Amino acid sequence: MGLFRLVSLVACLALTGGGAEAHAIVLNSTPRPDAIVSGRELAIEIRFNSRIDAGRSHIKLFGREGAAVSLPLDESASEDMLKARATGLAPGSYRLHWQTLSPDGHISQGDIPFRVDR
Amino acid sequence: MQLFIEIYGFLSVVLRGFILAAQSVSVGGLAFLLLLVWPLADALGPSGAVLERRALRLVFLSACGLVAAEALAAASLTLMLAGTLDIPVREAAEARAVAVDLMAALLGAVVALSAWRGRRGGVAIRSAAPVLAALLIGVQAGATHAVSQFEGALALAGAELLHMGGAAVWIGGIPYFLMALTDVADPRARAEIASRFSVMAAGAVAALLAGGLLMAAYYVGAPEALYGASYGVMLSAKIVLFLGLLFLGGLNFLAVRKLRNEPAGPLLRTRRFAETEIGVGLTVIFCAASLASLPPARDLPNDRASFAEIVDRLEPRLPVRLDSPDFEALSAALPAEATKDLPPGTQPRRAADIAWSEYNHHWAGLFVVAMGVMALLERMSRRLAPIMRHWPLVFIGLAGFLFLRADESVWPLGRLGLIESLRDPEIAQHRLLTLLIVAFGLFEWRVRLGRVTKWWAPYVFPISTATAAAFLLTHSHALTNLKEETLIEITHTPLALVGVAAGWSRWLELRLDGEAKKIAGFVWPVAFILAGLMLVFYREA
Repeated sequence: MGLFRLVSLVACLALTGGGAEAHAIVLNSTPRPDAIVSGRELAIEIRFNSRIDAGRSHIKLFGREGAAVSLPLDESASEDMLKARATGLAPGSYRLHWQTLSPDGHISQGDIPFRVDR
Repeated sequence: MQLFIEIYGFLSVVLRGFILAAQSVSVGGLAFLLLLVWPLADALGPSGAVLERRALRLVFLSACGLVAAEALAAASLTLMLAGTLDIPVREAAEARAVAVDLMAALLGAVVALSAWRGRRGGVAIRSAAPVLAALLIGVQAGATHAVSQFEGALALAGAELLHMGGAAVWIGGIPYFLMALTDVADPRARAEIASRFSVMAAGAVAALLAGGLLMAAYYVGAPEALYGASYGVMLSAKIVLFLGLLFLGGLNFLAVRKLRNEPAGPLLRTRRFAETEIGVGLTVIFCAASLASLPPARDLPNDRASFAEIVDRLEPRLPVRLDSPDFEALSAALPAEATKDLPPGTQPRRAADIAWSEYNHHWAGLFVVAMGVMALLERMSRRLAPIMRHWPLVFIGLAGFLFLRADESVWPLGRLGLIESLRDPEIAQHRLLTLLIVAFGLFEWRVRLGRVTKWWAPYVFPISTATAAAFLLTHSHALTNLKEETLIEITHTPLALVGVAAGWSRWLELRLDGEAKKIAGFVWPVAFILAGLMLVFYREA
């Protein structure tokens, strides 16, 4: 944290600071961050430390070109999990971006980078 | 959208703080009326009617504030969800947290309306007050950590109820207690109110403590999480502030006991300590809002900072950095193409970047130490006082330093020209801040010299200091690197705590007389020196 960010906070002009307010955190995921996977399809599971509102959550897949695809969420997942399936994966680097809402109203988000190798 | 997400993170914590504060004052007012004003109506006589009207007015205003803050919270969460998830607004508005905000806003409106009618002679609020107060706290407990838990959700929600209810009756009741001390002329009735409020506050503290202990045991889990995780660090700060509040409450308890034996005795100290309790109490409430935005420490067993890492970060080391690294060694000197593909906030930090930041902190700390030492010498040495009383001018030196050093990419360090740099909103904000520091320093200097004589002018300094410290506790948490965030909290939270002490001790110095005024006058310069030393020995790695 730079000095001016600190002083900004101290001067009540803290709008420059931090990211989204966060509460739910990832306990484990498939794929794990920086994992190398093979195959054209990938079952994605992200498990959190608390209940989440899957109806107000999303998983996006960012490919090599930077274009994002929203992945449909599996509604049969448990209350602390987001599940989805990515298809048609070509070799290369990808990034999963997730965002979720806790029942207490906190939004959290994060990224899981991975590579497809064959 | 990224900017909106960042603003939302901060806005939601501040809004939660306002909601908790407004709710506490509303519920505290209802409890005060219910347990003190209405049962003692005969003993209070005509001044009781005046007190009731004023209390109902504050209940009305705080309930209106609650309605506005809840509506804003519901609207901002809905917009945030609709904007980031690309879902219809209606679907976003059906989230449980939005429903809780709207329900609390509705209840707030009912409280405001009842209080308004109560001021005009309506008596419905007398029977509705306990139900409304319980519902307000109960609804709010529906949007806390407890509802996200799989185990013990009910017990945790009960603990939240006790905790929030206790805080509301105690901290939220103090403004009404102050009103009573002013409005009630009969010394015996005043002593009775003080005595009853003392009992009420003691019960509320017990409830607050019981709820807090249960939640701490569950959410923190292990003693080492109290310092090794951000949640624990914020909770520790809250505990320190709570102890400060208990100290002030204890002083008031003694004053009230004295008042019972001598009803016509002086009230000044009781009033001044109560004012300070309100300020520190509000800080605790904002600290609680910040705490609520963090994941429980129990869920982060692998991302905690160890005791050795914390000692390594906090241990004062000499020499401090008073030499700046060259601009060419900083990441800001890299061509824009080198970092264009990286998401915001993920650019790697070089050793030189850390050294540059520490250099800035250490110099800023020296300015703050200088202010504290000068203010202390002003009080200790009659010979030096005429020179030392000009200490607010050091703010101009600090502002000058920040103007030249704050943005490494701008002249005189970087390649951007001064005018050109103002196109960047963050840099423009920093420049505005520099001007504010200059204005603040000059204003306080003129106040000290007696050139500004408005009654409110001396209070600008303590209120600004205490508010800034509260905001330092009320920030959003990015949680990109949990251990690093904890280590940052460990360095910044003590700064906030000494800031709270500095602001409110200066307030007491202005508001008290005699020996107590003198003691308060020594506390805040020492707090300034401590804050300065923390900056002087600040380390980022």
